[in-house]
Amino acid sequence: MPEDLAIRIEDLSISYKVSLEAKRTLKNAVMRASLKQKERTRTIEAVKHLTLDVPHGSVLGIVGSNGAGKSTLMRCVAGILSPTEGRVTVNGKISTLLALGVGFNPALSGRDNIILGGLASGLNMDEISNKTDEIAEFAALPDGFIDLPVRTYSSGMYGRLSFAVAVSMTPDILLLDEALSAGDAAFKEKSFERMRQLCAEARTIVIVSHALATVTDLCDSAIWMHKGQMLSKGKPEAIVDEYLKFLNVGSLPSSYEDM
Amino acid sequence: MPVNENFVPKIQVFEPHRASLPPLGPYLKEFWTRRVFATELARFSDKAEYLDSRLGKVWLVLNPLLLGLIYYLVVEIIRPGGGLPGLTRLDHLLIGLFTFYFAQNCVTAGAQSITLGGRLILNQAFPRALLPLSCAIQAFQQFLWTIPVYIFVLIGGKLAYPTTEVPGWTWNFLWIPFIVICTGLTGFGLALIFATLNVYFRDTNKLLTYITRIWMYLSPVLWLPSSLRGHMKILLWVNPLGPVLNATSRVWVSGVSLNKSTIVGCIFWALASILMGGYYFISRERDFAIRI
Repeated sequence: MPEDLAIRIEDLSISYKVSLEAKRTLKNAVMRASLKQKERTRTIEAVKHLTLDVPHGSVLGIVGSNGAGKSTLMRCVAGILSPTEGRVTVNGKISTLLALGVGFNPALSGRDNIILGGLASGLNMDEISNKTDEIAEFAALPDGFIDLPVRTYSSGMYGRLSFAVAVSMTPDILLLDEALSAGDAAFKEKSFERMRQLCAEARTIVIVSHALATVTDLCDSAIWMHKGQMLSKGKPEAIVDEYLKFLNVGSLPSSYEDM
Repeated sequence: MPVNENFVPKIQVFEPHRASLPPLGPYLKEFWTRRVFATELARFSDKAEYLDSRLGKVWLVLNPLLLGLIYYLVVEIIRPGGGLPGLTRLDHLLIGLFTFYFAQNCVTAGAQSITLGGRLILNQAFPRALLPLSCAIQAFQQFLWTIPVYIFVLIGGKLAYPTTEVPGWTWNFLWIPFIVICTGLTGFGLALIFATLNVYFRDTNKLLTYITRIWMYLSPVLWLPSSLRGHMKILLWVNPLGPVLNATSRVWVSGVSLNKSTIVGCIFWALASILMGGYYFISRERDFAIRI
């Protein structure tokens, strides 16, 4: 892989089978086996023959409707899901925020959860200890909340803490899935600022967002995915325009808000 | 754009991998590197479990003590005497129960570790076996709390009934770490199997409640290994915990050394559980994020 690339995706396809049964249980499996019936399944082709290079220091936005395969693609880049065909090569330390509240035990304090989240991300105890106060400050938790159980947090505080843990890992590659929907306008601006700083340090960011303004504001390139395929790739404004035309909602200001 | 000055190249390649083992070298290296996550997760889970309890960690001692008392009463009512002095029977039952519960806690908590770790699994790439491992570590830590309880009962019993024989210090106690390691490995290996099954069949956990209960009655906890006659002796060998519980009774209660067949049995089940559980779990773990 060329040195200037952070991510190389080659002819990637991801498909998986889902059961059509309401609940997969041992009881049903035994019943089926006794009746010599096969389980009813459906194959989902989440990503189809996608090829893409992401250079170091770039911010890539991914847009597309629900079920387009954006989250599956992100999980494959993170190494969480394996490809069915093709290959993904990643060069650098990855930090992910693909589901909010990661590693969070609601009975434990924010501080304890920061340690758990950091360890899950691959940091060591010394690195986490140095970052705990910084994370708490970035998450803008009210005084004393860092030592209270996470179950006492509002959903905004919960989301901000998750985001703060992910961005404070000083990753080479940051993968974010709808993470910026957490927090209020002030926190969003702070998050943007942090991501711009990461970009200035030549770190790579991939963002999945339905908030199209985020894509045009932050990204320097974008792709549009639809039903597992990459329909187009280019400048964020052009991709967003194309996507909006497809959605047939024009460029109404409301389309640029969280949808 | 040039890469940042602190950048350390770390090439990771993700290729098709389904129902077969990933390259084991990098997997085990990553597993070892992140072991602190498993130990800390165990510590925090333990902390969270007793956070809201007024007696807190005192329950770690009270639980096994009350459990031992209940089973002792049950055994005494069903089969009073049982060919052994009461204190020896109590010692056998207590240490057998504590050892059995160590393995059982590995399995029952480990079985749920993947389904309950949903968000973590959806967000992070790490060797998933760390989650059942953290449950095994937590079970081990809880087992450690039961040892003083056992010693306390042993010494208290001897003071109350001076005629009862209890083992004094013997070098045979050096077998104890071997027994504990074999119990932990067997429990962890079985936890890997049930954790995987639970991802595919969500009622596995319900079934496990009955399996563990039957498992205990078939294990030499409420009865003595020496009480088995004829073909029933096979129960000590087909049961993954049979050899370690037999060894537990020999060393902890009688203070005698292990014979060859018991050592081989302990090692066999520890290795078989880890290898079978490890293969089944690791070959399926990339599927977990889809199934959860």
